[in-house]
Amino acid sequence: MSLLEIENLSVAYGDLFAVREVSFALDEGAVFVLLGANGAGKTSILRSISGLVPARGGRILAAGRDLRGLAPNQVARAGISHVPEGRQIFPNLSVAENLTVSFLKERTKETMAAALAAVYELFPRLAERRRQAGGTLSGGEQQMLAIGRALMNFPKLLMLDEPSLGLSPVLADLVFERLATIRSLGTTILLVEQNATCLELATGGIILANGRVVLAGTRDRLQDSEFVRRAYLGV
Amino acid sequence: MSGLETAMLPVMQAVLSGILVGGVYGLLSIGLSLAFGVMRIVNFAHGDMVMYGMYVGVVGSTILGIDPFLALPASFLLMAVLGALQYRVVFRRFVGHTTLNQLLAAIGLGLALQMVAQLIFGVDARSAHSIFAGKYDLIGPFFLARAQIVAFGVAGVATILVELLLRKTQWGKAVRAVADNIEAAEIVGLKSQTINLTAFALSCGLAGIAGTVLVTYYPTDPTKGFTLMPIALIATTIGGLGSIGGAFLGGIFCGVIQQTTAMLWNSALQDVPLYVLLLVFIAFRPMGFFGRRSE
Repeated sequence: MSLLEIENLSVAYGDLFAVREVSFALDEGAVFVLLGANGAGKTSILRSISGLVPARGGRILAAGRDLRGLAPNQVARAGISHVPEGRQIFPNLSVAENLTVSFLKERTKETMAAALAAVYELFPRLAERRRQAGGTLSGGEQQMLAIGRALMNFPKLLMLDEPSLGLSPVLADLVFERLATIRSLGTTILLVEQNATCLELATGGIILANGRVVLAGTRDRLQDSEFVRRAYLGV
Repeated sequence: MSGLETAMLPVMQAVLSGILVGGVYGLLSIGLSLAFGVMRIVNFAHGDMVMYGMYVGVVGSTILGIDPFLALPASFLLMAVLGALQYRVVFRRFVGHTTLNQLLAAIGLGLALQMVAQLIFGVDARSAHSIFAGKYDLIGPFFLARAQIVAFGVAGVATILVELLLRKTQWGKAVRAVADNIEAAEIVGLKSQTINLTAFALSCGLAGIAGTVLVTYYPTDPTKGFTLMPIALIATTIGGLGSIGGAFLGGIFCGVIQQTTAMLWNSALQDVPLYVLLLVFIAFRPMGFFGRRSE
């Protein structure tokens, strides 16, 4: 059974379809990439998985259980964490509060300390700034905070919506490096990107255009495809 | 004592009474500010919840023989439950944006609460009797009503407790997260509807306490909510909508202005400078003293 299986998912805003009958599946341990230009429907897919927008059609199965109709907090509690577009950290909460406000299955002093320590080890910068208000962090630090916040309840699946957007190449590299670490620690990753350089990290993925899947396959297949070469790598 | 000092004494007396009365105005306002800060709900029915809190004091003292100050926990709980009910039925659908529909719903609810109060309690003014009523303390050269001193103490303690609750507890952290970004709060697993419901219940519970404290020196009738609401609105605007400490200080500020105006000018006109101040703040500093600019 796949960790996450999307079957013929459609998402629409009024009459406007953002996603049309998209299907894909993620196995445990995968780094699955949704690649596409602005408006391809990537964000809508993540938002419907999280329950932030309703699916117009199709099914969203997590380990066999249909997620449709669940509130976003229930999806999060089921082990699917979402790092949203634009980071969406809590600007008036301190860095430490941003992290500890998250739902934890068992909220004891020990589990909280362990989760915090794991996040601070991954992003030492956050430990240095733990007392600072989230809104005063730089873009890169806010991205680290958004990822750290999503990791606090030890999710089975981490979904990230363009984590490299607006970051310098150096910082973007750092974020992807950390994603590799997170994956090696056993978290499955669903990554939305416009930039095909993230394929380095991927095990597989799909390419979306105008809400439809135009190509699906393993990393090598995507990387070698004419589509990616021309559209994304510029060669 | 010099002539100037003698002349200043009544003014200082008015300032001190203003601070005491203003503390209770602050208590009226912090619940209002909480509902706005967390849910962007401007609850025009808040004053009517205060009015019910006053009747809790009346019923407690005249029928059950309980001092209003001892009825505070009951008042808090009753109004919190009523508030939770209001949230479930009415305000749940208006979270996040202050809309005309939300304002109208709150005004309608306030009127309904007033009618119900009229049916239950009649239209005549009623008062409660506290053991502190009619007692005065001479502090230095100043006479202060003991009921007002105790009321001020209750208001101050309540404000500090609410601040601590918001700053130091897991619940408070969650409330602030929901206030910052309700969608982000949901995706980290927080049940935003439950959190909003409890915050709204707290807001109404505070209105209940404010009313019960106020009725120890100020009689009530079913329209009292309507009379008190403008002062609470002005205090929260001056203090900064959404700020708890700001609302408390805004209340004190209103109390002082009101009492000194009454003393120096005319008690019938004691609220006039407050409305002028409201206009000035809305025009030049809508975020108040302690509100955030982005709001």
